[in-house]
Amino acid sequence: MTELTFELPKTPASRRVKRFVVPLLPFAFLIAIWASIVALTDPAIGVLPSPMRVLEAPFDDSSTYFDNIEASLKRLVMGFTVAAVSGVVVGIAAGLSRRVAEFLGPLSTFMSAISGIAWIPLAVAWFGVGTGMVVFIIWNAAFFLIFANTMLGVRLVPKVYGNGLLTLGCSRLQVIRHAVVPGAMPYIMSGLRSGLGFGWRAVIAAELVGASSGLGFWIFEQQEFSRMDKIIAGALTIGVIGMAMDRWLLAPLERRTIERWGLVGTSS
Amino acid sequence: MSDPPNSTVLSAVEASRQQASSHRGRALLASVFRALFPFTVLLGVWWGAWAIFDPPEIILVSPPTVFSAFIDAIQDGTLPTYISRSVGRLALGTLIAAAIGIPLGWLLGIDDDISSAFDPLLRFFNAVSGIAWLPAMIIWFGFTERTILVIIVYTMVFPITFNAMTGVRTIPRRYRDACRTLGAGRLRIVKEVYMPGSFPGVMTGLRLGIGFGWRALIAGEFVVGTAAGGGIGFFIFDARTQGSIRKVMAGMIVLGVLWLLADRLIFKPIEEHVNERWGAVSE
Repeated sequence: MTELTFELPKTPASRRVKRFVVPLLPFAFLIAIWASIVALTDPAIGVLPSPMRVLEAPFDDSSTYFDNIEASLKRLVMGFTVAAVSGVVVGIAAGLSRRVAEFLGPLSTFMSAISGIAWIPLAVAWFGVGTGMVVFIIWNAAFFLIFANTMLGVRLVPKVYGNGLLTLGCSRLQVIRHAVVPGAMPYIMSGLRSGLGFGWRAVIAAELVGASSGLGFWIFEQQEFSRMDKIIAGALTIGVIGMAMDRWLLAPLERRTIERWGLVGTSS
Repeated sequence: MSDPPNSTVLSAVEASRQQASSHRGRALLASVFRALFPFTVLLGVWWGAWAIFDPPEIILVSPPTVFSAFIDAIQDGTLPTYISRSVGRLALGTLIAAAIGIPLGWLLGIDDDISSAFDPLLRFFNAVSGIAWLPAMIIWFGFTERTILVIIVYTMVFPITFNAMTGVRTIPRRYRDACRTLGAGRLRIVKEVYMPGSFPGVMTGLRLGIGFGWRALIAGEFVVGTAAGGGIGFFIFDARTQGSIRKVMAGMIVLGVLWLLADRLIFKPIEEHVNERWGAVSE
């Protein structure tokens, strides 16, 4: 969205302050409230630990903490890779062929209506407890989004480009490679971006039941010991990782894709 | 006004109307068939795989077995009770989340300073999925209804807020400026421009939010378990504990069908209506 705003030009310094300092204020405020509640009411550490305690908690046993992060991230990479490849391939097929789309469309709507978490019991029965099952749940969470976005992107590529290439003697495969895929790229990227976000949520949910390692497993294990400091640290870690992936990996990638290939229009 | 149309014209109109309705009927039938065909194939593949591999009952059961599990669960009353509990929770969660999220979204959409200050905070907590807060909520609220409700509301607030915000932002500035030129106060502008103008965004947010909330509900019911008196999510996970794949699959299908019905019969029509009525502002 481009907005027309009528503001007086500001000096770069004050704008930088506004951009970096102001957004930190609510965080600081929140932490201050939290710290003062702890200081005033002195709750049991199992109910509400101090911010400092939460910051230290992962390092009580930092190797376990980092091992669990690693386990979760590995699963995410595996599941997401499978979802990305299958989602893009099937999405291109459905975008090119009406028949494939008419067949897969309703199925995909129905399958994504059965939320990823509800698949966990069946996935445990099929794959047992462990990485296989978590990877399946991640795939299940990300695939339908990537598929639907890719299909949409392919459909929105103007037919002229493909026809032009065909006239020039290109094969169908070349058309896909040089017109369809690049044209659909912005949509594919936005599908991948939200797919990864959903995948990350799915990892945590799946590990809650079906794994004996990973961040999701870790926070639920801590609940049994009422280690609120570790639980909050774990939840915040989940947020930081999710946000970091989105901000520093996928958002820039998406932006660049739109700049480079965004001839078909952009999706915010 | 004008002369009544003569009978030949009337019968011609009647005939064309009949033709159109029979045409529409056939088109409807064709679209129903087209929508059901993929599911028939899926059912066939499932049934075929079951017949060929003959897997043990804890891996896969045949479609009729799942259907009979579904009938059983309806007859013994568990499924109807659980469904009404889950839907009730979701409805309550939606009300609370809407009451928080919509005004907050409006505020963020109207005031750029507030939104630039609070946007990162909201995005961060949105990134911490509701499920990740489940262990903490269990410690605070125990295995109770409240734990489930908090998780649902938490999950729903963000999409509702962000979409209400976007809804306000996509209103062309000139509407606001026009109102202001005509002497409207700030409150009047909120009432006449921002509220109706952001309606499509608000509806999208609600629809998305309810979708996310539904997932959170399943997870919450599973973790909280019997203590909250069941629910469709509990039904599925409880079936797993019993080792009853037939009940697991029956529950999953009920979940999918419920969601599809709600989406097609409630959310989509409302959203379309809202877009028709109010959507003119985002030209």
